[in-house]
Amino acid sequence: MAFQSRKKFCYFKENGITDIDYKDVKLLRRFVNDQGKIMPRRITGSSAKMHRKLVRAIKRSRSIALMPYVDLGSE
Amino acid sequence: MRYYETLYIVNPNLENEALDITMGEIGTELEKSKSKIINHRVWGKKRLAYQIENQKYGSFILLQFEGGEQDQMNEFNTWMKLNNSVLRHMTVALDEKPEVYVELVKEKPVEKEAPKGTVEETPANEAVVETTSEETETQSDVTEEESTESTEETETTEDVSDESSEADTEEKEAE
Repeated sequence: MAFQSRKKFCYFKENGITDIDYKDVKLLRRFVNDQGKIMPRRITGSSAKMHRKLVRAIKRSRSIALMPYVDLGSE
Repeated sequence: MRYYETLYIVNPNLENEALDITMGEIGTELEKSKSKIINHRVWGKKRLAYQIENQKYGSFILLQFEGGEQDQMNEFNTWMKLNNSVLRHMTVALDEKPEVYVELVKEKPVEKEAPKGTVEETPANEAVVETTSEETETQSDVTEEESTESTEETETTEDVSDESSEADTEEKEAE
């Protein structure tokens, strides 16, 4: 079918991740767009439970300057 | 008792000695609240996602401890805010008891070198043993000329396999 979309899956459930560490910037970067905004659940496909944990981790790592609040891409 | 983790950023221009002194000060200040320090280590110098006090880089230090008296810990929090060498800090409650950190960085190269030597030595020894045994077998069965040819063939094939296996191991080590 032309409009058949591929099945979304929860990245954390797929990889057996139960806790998200705010220091793991490499992982968190995947769930943030170029501007540094947190991507919505409808796009990442992560479960509600894990999305809440993800949001908390990203916000924590922002407050300790590991991740940007706003990434304008200008260096 | 709950376990906590404090991650704080120190001015990157501090020298190692000055860094040790500030870490010591912070440790003693925290111990006033009867907290037990489990880990207190330098996480590394990292680029900050945004500038803090006009600094682009910062040395991150991780402090994990078992919580003591709450009032004293709040005082520690305000003390950290007033500390000029600390650019920023954040305390987070942990779900589980943190494991005592053991430095793996220094041990790893030693482990890597040891197997490397053994890996290289053992295939060579095995190859020698195999070739000698095959030579004796072939000589006993077939005529001498044929046997020499066959042994040469076997040696060449084994050499190729050895090289490929070594290349594989090297690739793995590189990864």
